[in-house]
Amino acid sequence: MQTGLNRTKWEPYLWLLPSLLLIAIFVVFPILIVFKLSFSEISKAGVIGGFVGFQNYVEAVKLPAFKTVMLNTLWWVLSVVGISTVLGFVIAMVLNQKFHGRKIARSILVFPWATSLVVQASVWNYIIKYEYGSLNNVLLNLGVIKQAINWRSSYQIEFIWECGVGIFVTVPFVAFCVLAGLQSIDGSLYEAATMDGAGFWGKLRNVTLPLVRPALTVSTVLNIIYVFNSFPIVYTMTKGAPAHKTDTMIAYLYMLSFYERKKGPATALSVIGFLILCACAGLYMMTVMRKEEEQ
Amino acid sequence: MKKFLALFLAALMLFALAACGQTPAADKPADQPAGEITLDVIICEYGPNTKEWFLGKGMNGTNFVEKFEKENPGVKLKLDVVSWNDVYTEVDTRIANNNAPDILNIDVFANYANEGLLLPVKDYCPDELFKDFFPAFIDQSVIDGTVWAVPDLASARAMFYNVDMLKEVGVEVPTTWAELEDVSQAIIDFYNGEVYPWGIDMTTDEGQAAFAYYTWGNGGGFVDKDGNWAVNSAENVEGIQFALNLIEKGYTNPNPATQTRYDLQDMFAAGKMAMLIAPNQLPTYVADKGGNINMATAGIPANAGKTGSSVGVMDRVMAFKDDSAPDQAARNEAIGKFLTFFYNPENYVGWVSMEGFLPAVNSAVEALVASDPSFTAWLDVLATCQFYPAAKAEWDQVKQGVIAAEQAALSGADIQAELDKLQTELAG
Repeated sequence: MQTGLNRTKWEPYLWLLPSLLLIAIFVVFPILIVFKLSFSEISKAGVIGGFVGFQNYVEAVKLPAFKTVMLNTLWWVLSVVGISTVLGFVIAMVLNQKFHGRKIARSILVFPWATSLVVQASVWNYIIKYEYGSLNNVLLNLGVIKQAINWRSSYQIEFIWECGVGIFVTVPFVAFCVLAGLQSIDGSLYEAATMDGAGFWGKLRNVTLPLVRPALTVSTVLNIIYVFNSFPIVYTMTKGAPAHKTDTMIAYLYMLSFYERKKGPATALSVIGFLILCACAGLYMMTVMRKEEEQ
Repeated sequence: MKKFLALFLAALMLFALAACGQTPAADKPADQPAGEITLDVIICEYGPNTKEWFLGKGMNGTNFVEKFEKENPGVKLKLDVVSWNDVYTEVDTRIANNNAPDILNIDVFANYANEGLLLPVKDYCPDELFKDFFPAFIDQSVIDGTVWAVPDLASARAMFYNVDMLKEVGVEVPTTWAELEDVSQAIIDFYNGEVYPWGIDMTTDEGQAAFAYYTWGNGGGFVDKDGNWAVNSAENVEGIQFALNLIEKGYTNPNPATQTRYDLQDMFAAGKMAMLIAPNQLPTYVADKGGNINMATAGIPANAGKTGSSVGVMDRVMAFKDDSAPDQAARNEAIGKFLTFFYNPENYVGWVSMEGFLPAVNSAVEALVASDPSFTAWLDVLATCQFYPAAKAEWDQVKQGVIAAEQAALSGADIQAELDKLQTELAG
């Protein structure tokens, strides 16, 4: 006869089973396949050949655009995650205040995050279009500018736009994570801090920040992963043009695989990306967790 | 207990992985009657009507699959219409999983042929049908003397111009590069820079077309007379430099690296662009966009003393090998039946005219010209146009390489150096 104690022992595993199976099929298995492919010869048509050692990795690193793309990816992740985190934090602080229309403001904030990235990127493409983009139209009609401005006049500016759209769609996620953290802070802590003579900055540093850190950690780690892996914004806005100068790693390896048909180096790049991501996210989490333990 | 459960879970995961690793057997229904053949077909989505025509009600209330199966008992079709954005991913994934389609409609073929995945056309295409194809089109799908694919349709590019605008400015249609520059300057002066005289698309989607327009118009091209890659020839450098100068002088749309042909066509439809190189479907496109432009076509301008050449774009139909098919002869015959049915003027004319393309077989010409007299002019263009060297194995690399070179030059690099680099890569 089963005892209650025995059942509680295996029950969690049973409930976990469907998720574990799904993770195995849709996450672990594809990762293993990509690892295997990265050491295999892959023809232009996609026929998988034999083991070639690190040849795909060597070819990937030797690609002329490799350095540019890696640097772009670094800037892309740092700027989008960094700026979104700061902006998201500030917005969450504002939304945590009591004011009329707070609920509406919170709902509006969801839109950029809830809309598909391809739609977002296409809409921004139309907004900043030189010829009949809405930004130029609005500014011309308001009399702010006398002549339409070419908002995409160089690849540096194109890249800044990509990052801008990335930030625009990422801020809401940070704001909501932080907002959840802020709402869980007991009001009496602020009262106590006020009694101790802490001002706005003092309360922010000593009460708010330590208590929303878990929420910030979650949002930052997830954002590093999402932003690094983000494909639609770059692909929809520029396809990496001109000559991969606005590409990030994920968009580039897609182009490499399906446009240039260099499938071997493309799989090697995706493994490199995966490892970088694991290292970054792991390192960040370890640092934050250690800090929490110290406290 | 814990250990047992962990072991059980691990075993289950492994089982799931093993199940995923199985190569799916060819998608033939298990209950297929003996002697019946199912052909797995992938068709590219050319426009909103493609799916309707093949699978919906777009063929006079019925569809291609229904009609085909009715007229060809014993052959079933498992036909998918796949968007151009996804088709390469889909086909490559299926090849990697050893599950290639029987019949594929796509633009490229050389990689599949070179890797021994395709059946030679003579194995399945009935002689009578084969003779019906325009020979110049068939020549584009030959590697080492073997025809590996047949054309399904074509389109041709020419220069379109806004008749009213050129009249208003008081200029003639340019035929040479020098005239093109003069006309462009006149348009800039007349409209005070409000209208782009000329359109250039050097985007990742179609920068290779720009390369063709300006190098063919200067006696150059992707390959030399012997068919060897010659992307960095003096003629090519001069041709692309001419295009870059047009951009530099402000005669074109401002962002050629990201403004696609469709952006240019939109500008033309909105009356913001006076001239551009576009395919024969442009009038339909402009009308669909609500534009009311009085337009006409002319040859693509070339350098003085050189002949401009139209660019022909052609898609193909090909058949993959399937060593697991029990009766190869019957399978080949079924593929032949598919092609015969597809190119039967009764069906084919509807297909080609539906999305405004040009035909690939002689038997369709008469009916098409009868329905739209403007086809005659385009058929003349088609007869003289050049095609991309898509039969060469390195074409994908060259295509992306010339686009990258153009785009690098747009952001300040030296076009000669960029093309030299590509040529060295190709030689190495």
